[in-house]
Amino acid sequence: MNAAAAAQGLAPGWKLADALAVLPGLKTAPAEPDAEAEALQALCDWCVRYSPAVAPDPPDGLFLEVSGMEALWGGGSLLADLIARLAAQGIPAQGAIAATPGAAWALARFTPGRPLPSGEGFPRTGARDSGRRSARGAGAALPPEIPSSSPSLRERGPSFSRGEKDEADLAPLPVAALRLDPDTDAALRRLGLKTIGQVRALPRAQLARRFGQRLLLRLDQAAGDLEEALPYRRPPAPFFERLAFVEPIAAPEDLARAAGDILEKLCAALEARGSGARRFTVTFHRVDGKPLPLTVGAALAGRDPRRLARLFAPKLETVDPGFGLEAVTAEAELVEPLAPRQAPLAVAFPGSDEPGKATDSLAGARPCRRTGDHFAGTRSDAGTAKARAMKAETGAADLVDRLKARLGEDAVWRAEVNESWVPERTVAHAQPFAPRSGRGWDPARPRPLRLFERPEPIEAIAPVPDDPPRQFRWRGRLCKVRAAEGPERIAEEWWRRPIEAVGPARVRDYYRVEDADGRRFWLFRAGLYEPGTPPRWFVHGLFE
Amino acid sequence: MTARAGVLDVLRARVAAIETSSKPGRVLPLGDPRLDLSLPGGGLPLGRWHELIGEGLEAEDPAAVTGFAARLAAALSAGDGEMGGGETVWVFRRDDLYAPGLAGLGLDPARLLFVAARRDADVLAAAEDALRAAGIAAVAAEVEALDLVAGRRLQLACERTGATGLILRRRRALRAGEKAAERAEATAAATRWKIAPAPSRPEQPGFTGLGPPRWRVELERCRGGRPGAWIVEAGDGPHPLRVVAELADHQLQETPARRVARG
Repeated sequence: MNAAAAAQGLAPGWKLADALAVLPGLKTAPAEPDAEAEALQALCDWCVRYSPAVAPDPPDGLFLEVSGMEALWGGGSLLADLIARLAAQGIPAQGAIAATPGAAWALARFTPGRPLPSGEGFPRTGARDSGRRSARGAGAALPPEIPSSSPSLRERGPSFSRGEKDEADLAPLPVAALRLDPDTDAALRRLGLKTIGQVRALPRAQLARRFGQRLLLRLDQAAGDLEEALPYRRPPAPFFERLAFVEPIAAPEDLARAAGDILEKLCAALEARGSGARRFTVTFHRVDGKPLPLTVGAALAGRDPRRLARLFAPKLETVDPGFGLEAVTAEAELVEPLAPRQAPLAVAFPGSDEPGKATDSLAGARPCRRTGDHFAGTRSDAGTAKARAMKAETGAADLVDRLKARLGEDAVWRAEVNESWVPERTVAHAQPFAPRSGRGWDPARPRPLRLFERPEPIEAIAPVPDDPPRQFRWRGRLCKVRAAEGPERIAEEWWRRPIEAVGPARVRDYYRVEDADGRRFWLFRAGLYEPGTPPRWFVHGLFE
Repeated sequence: MTARAGVLDVLRARVAAIETSSKPGRVLPLGDPRLDLSLPGGGLPLGRWHELIGEGLEAEDPAAVTGFAARLAAALSAGDGEMGGGETVWVFRRDDLYAPGLAGLGLDPARLLFVAARRDADVLAAAEDALRAAGIAAVAAEVEALDLVAGRRLQLACERTGATGLILRRRRALRAGEKAAERAEATAAATRWKIAPAPSRPEQPGFTGLGPPRWRVELERCRGGRPGAWIVEAGDGPHPLRVVAELADHQLQETPARRVARG
């Protein structure tokens, strides 16, 4: 459907044959609900530049929660800005701001004078192919595949007085604006109840008896008496800040300054709530609509803007500004309560650039830079053990964050016990500051310091099959075994394979051997001894 | 005579102060007077970085060197308070460290951080970062080559926080036909050790199993101390090492001043 078709008298919901009868030259294309749903999701993501709480309203609408956002726009021009941008992308849209989602939905779609009411399953006209191609492309341009989208905006805020204004707005709208099912809708119209105002004037008990609770539910949702839960695309982050630039920026130092500024605002908001966050996302919005998100995680919850700016610094280099960046948004996720830490007055901070996580003004005692030896004395005198432990923990967490930001998320780990006998599988990588299980490896089974990724085959001579070898050749050198311990039999984990594939032969007999020079190896013989086949020996690791 | 001895002591102290870059700081006693007397201050100096080298097989797949480093790191990061106590950070390029083996040597996995990097430059940068962070007691890094500038940076980083660095020189795997590069001799390390495996004795005579592991430890260079060579074992008690034998065939480099004083 587009405006030209509506001018000819078509409306959504018509049968295709009827439409063709009216307009023989109508261009049609099969409806593609999947592509349209994808396009709607993309639009949803794009709208994050306005508010983090965006919910799709299939098939062609969006809910945005914009409480408090108009302060960032100065007046009610948020809606105008949104519609203007959508129109620039080729998506005609209509919207409304109201105090409840129900009211917003109604006002957006049914305010008299609006060109297109929405419908479902109507034949689409217009550029189908080009829309799809652009949707699958760089994701920069919006898919113009939703010709008649009507994003409804919802706002909850003090500037709109609830109740009276909304009621007055909603009263003249048709009953279809209440999002009822078609039967109830038809029944209401048959009874002569055409507008919401008329429905509301009736006594509630009788409405409930006649039409069921759903009508009352919708009425209350529209009036704001009942809360409505929306399926937000992402959980609404209460910590969300936005900065727009007067002119699009592209220079790296401007990027860094913008990131620093918005992180300061965000951290101030976190501090006001007494919380810290473990994941921060800064998104730069390009002029052509593409968002460029950068995410930084932290091992411990924090809200120090300088430390965060430093963690973001290497990622800023990956931002490609294109024609320029016009806005930056930041949000904080994984928010935890974080009590402000009071820094002890006289503790000097050797070697750290930032005064730890202390956020109160007492930390203004600037650390003096001297050599480490001097501080060896100061540390024990001034700081209590608790302060030292706290500083040590934050220092290690800072280090982990810095190293992860520089080397990658997987580059830093601690070893954790994985319950498995197989040596390659018994070590698991754990997050450095995750709670430990407290288990350890069996101290009665000595294990090598270095474990080869793949056991290296060797030629070994063993007098008796069950004995450790007398000598073996490894990497071209001959090693004579002086002493050995073992065998330790480790069998495969038969429960991991289908029962038919399990056989008795997949075992390893491990020996610790020491050669004449004192070098120690962890050898194993693969498989049970079969008369006739030479046994296969491998080196799996080196002991100290 | 006593006045002269007193003057000589004062002079010796002054010379020692000039030789070391700053006041001798804290030390980690290694457990045996034969070892400790060779080291300045009576133990392994903390707040400095030390170089550990292996030869031959150990240069490529260091096992004895790793064991020695792990024992030192375990002693450094155990406990809390003034005398060390903190995390151990191990930075490497090839990921073949096996945590159960390190745990067997006393390195608590709850206080051990593994850091994997791609290049030597990244390893050194991560080691420097770790040395500068608060709460880190020991940093072990496996690099192939270390030039004077990097060594000086590590030294400055160590001095800031008092953490100790252990640099393991590890060659990457040679391809067929490639020869090992010559090792540059000058470094800014406080001490340089060469570790090699040594044959062990069973714990009790008559046992046929393996006894505790032994290493041939050679202190090649030591600023303010004396080189020496020993056979050591991993110690059981609070000290990291236990000296089994002192190698007498190692030639001690005596400076002329000391020889005169002894006479």
